[in-house]
Amino acid sequence: MNLRFWLVPALAAVGAIITPALRAEQSQCEVPAELMQVSATLPHLAERLRAKQPVNIVAIGGASTKGAAAGSPDLAYPHRLQLALAESFPDSSITVINKGVPRQSTQQMLERFASDVMPEDPVLVIWETGIADAVRGIEVDDFAAALQNGIDEIKNRAIDIVLVDMQFSHSTAAVIDFERYLTTVRRVGDLNEVYVFPRFEMMRYWSEQNMFNFDEVAPEERARLAAKVYDCIGRKLAKAIRVAVQ
Amino acid sequence: MPEPSTQRDLRLDFFRGVALFLIFIDHVPENVLSYFTLQAVGFYDAAEVFIFISGFTAALVYGARLASKGALYATAQVLRRAWQLYVAHIFLFVIFIAEVSYTASTFKNPMYNEEMRVADFLDEPHIAVVKALLLEFQPTFLDILPMYIVMLLIFPVVLLGMQRHWLLVLVPSALVYLAVQLLGIAVPAYPEGHVWFFNPLAWQFLFVAGALLGNPNMPGQATATMLRLAYPFALVIFAAATIIKLSWTIHGVWEPFPGLLLKVLWPVNKNNLSPLRLVPFFALAVLVALWVPRNARFLSSAIARPLIRCGQQSLEIFCLGILLSALGHFILSEYDSGIITQLAVNAAGILLMLLTARMIDWYKRMDRMPALQPAVAPGRQDRMAR
Repeated sequence: MNLRFWLVPALAAVGAIITPALRAEQSQCEVPAELMQVSATLPHLAERLRAKQPVNIVAIGGASTKGAAAGSPDLAYPHRLQLALAESFPDSSITVINKGVPRQSTQQMLERFASDVMPEDPVLVIWETGIADAVRGIEVDDFAAALQNGIDEIKNRAIDIVLVDMQFSHSTAAVIDFERYLTTVRRVGDLNEVYVFPRFEMMRYWSEQNMFNFDEVAPEERARLAAKVYDCIGRKLAKAIRVAVQ
Repeated sequence: MPEPSTQRDLRLDFFRGVALFLIFIDHVPENVLSYFTLQAVGFYDAAEVFIFISGFTAALVYGARLASKGALYATAQVLRRAWQLYVAHIFLFVIFIAEVSYTASTFKNPMYNEEMRVADFLDEPHIAVVKALLLEFQPTFLDILPMYIVMLLIFPVVLLGMQRHWLLVLVPSALVYLAVQLLGIAVPAYPEGHVWFFNPLAWQFLFVAGALLGNPNMPGQATATMLRLAYPFALVIFAAATIIKLSWTIHGVWEPFPGLLLKVLWPVNKNNLSPLRLVPFFALAVLVALWVPRNARFLSSAIARPLIRCGQQSLEIFCLGILLSALGHFILSEYDSGIITQLAVNAAGILLMLLTARMIDWYKRMDRMPALQPAVAPGRQDRMAR
């Protein structure tokens, strides 16, 4: 945890007071600028885009990568990311391949690299992980080691990597202790100069803004709401990638 | 944890009271105050303090009972204590089950449907409950008491061994600890693939070390010489470890600040009590033993007294702290996680712990009082009240 945790609500409060009219106009995916800081770079992807060559991106992760909650693979975040990137880089043909398998630990995903990731010949791997580890209470050291091995494996093949941290949900927060795992992902990213997309903090912000609240909608509305969140995540990730390749 | 005796070293109670507060604060996730606890400046945290002092105190109290009433009585006393801990653990477990069942049955977020499997054990409660009774099922934060129970179960052997020779205890304990460090032996837990969060094979070393130092047979002169010899080393180790860990903490908040040796030393293993945690903790213990005399004046101050009281009722206050931190987590995640709420949650929790310790202390004093005859006639008392 860090200053962010109380900075976000503080910013939210200020925002709520001074810009109520503006906010209605803005896209509902907005997050505080603090959450969109990207210091790492993606040199291999940047080079490919500059050369206007086709780009393969593999999104490996769990249930929230697969995106079943939204009802269709086209509504999952990897596809939303592909659409957003295509808009920003019209000269390259960009494909984001979805390799989400629910309920896998970081170690299990790592073991899938050889069969699911490398054969796609990606120039960027987006690794969404940590949920299953936190839910199962896997030792933080083992979690860190699996992340490190995965990063090494990808970097050694001259592929870029982005990590995506956990999902936020009000109701899980009380029974799952994500904090240690969040800290670990951030620290591994920091040590390896790998960008960690702060999904948890973003979703928490949106949740606090009441952008999505599953308790107050009818069951049939929930998939639509999930699709909205995935869409926002795809867009924000595309924006972060744009910054990282500049 | 055992009942107070007459010539009690109040430093033990005081620092154990402090450790209980720190455990509570550290267990409330995303708590701004956790930047000011031991774990922010040390590789160790309050768990080490708690276990070390518990070993020390156990040796003092049960050592005295061994000397006065014999091995059978002392063993029976230790086992009774272990039973109390066990009952407390099961009590906490029931509350945990209630919390998780409630969350699982009211869960509506489809984005977490496939991954929210904390409640997996609700599919097979007949197994989960038995595993909890066997101490094999240890949900988050319900992991320190099982380890402590194991410590007490082995304690009669430690106690009797220490009577013969301290090396009889130290050597096997250190060998087991080393074996864990070198071979990574873990104790399996439930569900499949889990292990005990606090590996008892590793943590026993800290408990035993505390017990050896608290052993009443230990000549005071030898301890004093040992402390003086260790002083310069302790000072250097403590300073170095503190500077390194502090740099990590600052780096975590403000990235441009360099985390010294972060790449080399991180992560520091807690499950197996990495030497990187243990050695600086021993350094801290040496410094505290030298710098805080037994009769330090602050121990009798009005500020220290409530903390000492908490340290004396440590089982009850520890359990309460676990409940309060879960409740605090719930409030922060469900209602508001702003800094004001965080501070309010901390303050309320600490206040409740202080008041509860006071109440338990009062109960115990009442229990100890001999049944008195009414000293004055009721009529007269009435008059006095007016």
